[in-house]
Amino acid sequence: MLDWSQSPRRPTAIRREQNLALVSAVVSGAVVAAGLILLLVARVNPETGAGVRAVASDLVAPVWDVVRAPIDGAARVGGHVGDYFGAVSRADALEAELNKANARLRIARAQARELAQLKRLMAVREPGRQVVATARIAAATSGGVVRTAMLAVGMADGVTRDLPVIAADGLIGRTVEAGSHSARVLLLTDAQSRVPVIVERTGQAGLAAGRGLPSLVLADRIGPEVPLLVGDRIVTSGDGGVFPPGVLVGVVTDPRRDAPVIRLAASPLGAGYVAVERAWLPIPDTAPKGPVFDAPVPVEARRRGAPPPRLRSAETPPTAVPASPAGVP
Amino acid sequence: MIASPPPPALLMTPDERRRWLLSLWRYAVPALISALMMVLMLAPLPLPVPAMPNLALLAVLAWVMLQPALMPPWLAFVVGALGDLLFGMPLGVNATLFAVAAGSIRLLDLLLVDRSHLVDWLGASLLVLACALATGPLMALAGRPVPVLPMLWQVLTSMIAWPLLLSACVAVQRRLARSAPSWRHG
Repeated sequence: MLDWSQSPRRPTAIRREQNLALVSAVVSGAVVAAGLILLLVARVNPETGAGVRAVASDLVAPVWDVVRAPIDGAARVGGHVGDYFGAVSRADALEAELNKANARLRIARAQARELAQLKRLMAVREPGRQVVATARIAAATSGGVVRTAMLAVGMADGVTRDLPVIAADGLIGRTVEAGSHSARVLLLTDAQSRVPVIVERTGQAGLAAGRGLPSLVLADRIGPEVPLLVGDRIVTSGDGGVFPPGVLVGVVTDPRRDAPVIRLAASPLGAGYVAVERAWLPIPDTAPKGPVFDAPVPVEARRRGAPPPRLRSAETPPTAVPASPAGVP
Repeated sequence: MIASPPPPALLMTPDERRRWLLSLWRYAVPALISALMMVLMLAPLPLPVPAMPNLALLAVLAWVMLQPALMPPWLAFVVGALGDLLFGMPLGVNATLFAVAAGSIRLLDLLLVDRSHLVDWLGASLLVLACALATGPLMALAGRPVPVLPMLWQVLTSMIAWPLLLSACVAVQRRLARSAPSWRHG
């Protein structure tokens, strides 16, 4: 009734309508097929469209970063209005003191364990933590099947992929994509997220795995099987080189033997600021370096971007010479 | 009609041709509103569950019902691909789902010509549910399997949001129809 097309009257017009309907059906089928092909391409190469994705988030993240500022301000004013005067401030002061004391206790506990390890190890060199950029969560996919968030800082601020993102209360996630002025953060709750952690009380290692729900599960525990308790603190272990050790991930709320449930320490989508830190250990260089040979690379190949030759003499000699096959002297 | 059909191009006066060129943006309104809803879905709500309604899919469905010629499946595909880019998902998940959903509303139009708002609501809810459930296999096809059961929250809020979104789209359509250019021949 509100269709834009005119009602056909002549036979040629009717035929044209039929042809158009056929063409549109074919185009619809082709579009769906193209979508499935795109999915297969993404399966083979997950980096498909990374550049376009970075441009899209570059366009959207700064907008949301500005748009959400007045909303945050209003929420904060509303929170202040709800406060009472005397009792609340005193309670807040006490709570702050308790938090401080708890923090000191936590540090002491961590230091005791560290000291025990040091006594065993005697010589340890640890890299330091370093903040790359501080930003607010600009946008988040609370309406999607993946759990990511966007920050309005990017390559221009030194943010690259695979950097830890840490809030005041605990770990948030890691960056997975970076545009020039935006970065995408894979939150801990995403089904792809795996964080190497240890149980602070027992030192047992495992992986904190997201599953699309507000809580995490502690999977792949290794080491002596000490039963967990409700309230056990889960902190990052520093394995894997991305997350610095000792950052609070969450607290055990359901210590089942098969899949203990962890409640997150830091709410990723609150109004707080998060810090993007440098990766704890530098990621090893895995770029392809080209074959090792003694002949120089032809000039034509070099012009087309071939890597420079890696001469056999420049390579580090192997520690053990492989045994020569039988028959060859 | 948010953009009345122009007279044949060869019979246009220069003034009519200018007015027609200046009114071409009206054809893009359904797609632009759907894309805007996609951006709106990125709001950082402090919710632990994915409860943001699937506004973009609802907008696409609403526009397929209101203006089928201005929201063909290929345009729904483009809107969905934009969503894939914005949400950081493998390119093609939302695109395929949106195109299929737009096509199914067209089939529904063929089957049930004169239907009530309740039937529309039911159809849209079922389509949103089907899309939420089909996200799992499509993500698995792209090599990133995800659990889809938390998405039932989104289906619930989407069902609540449908009448609001549909009335908003109808209001936009009314406003555009009121200001649509009229031509000499009617």
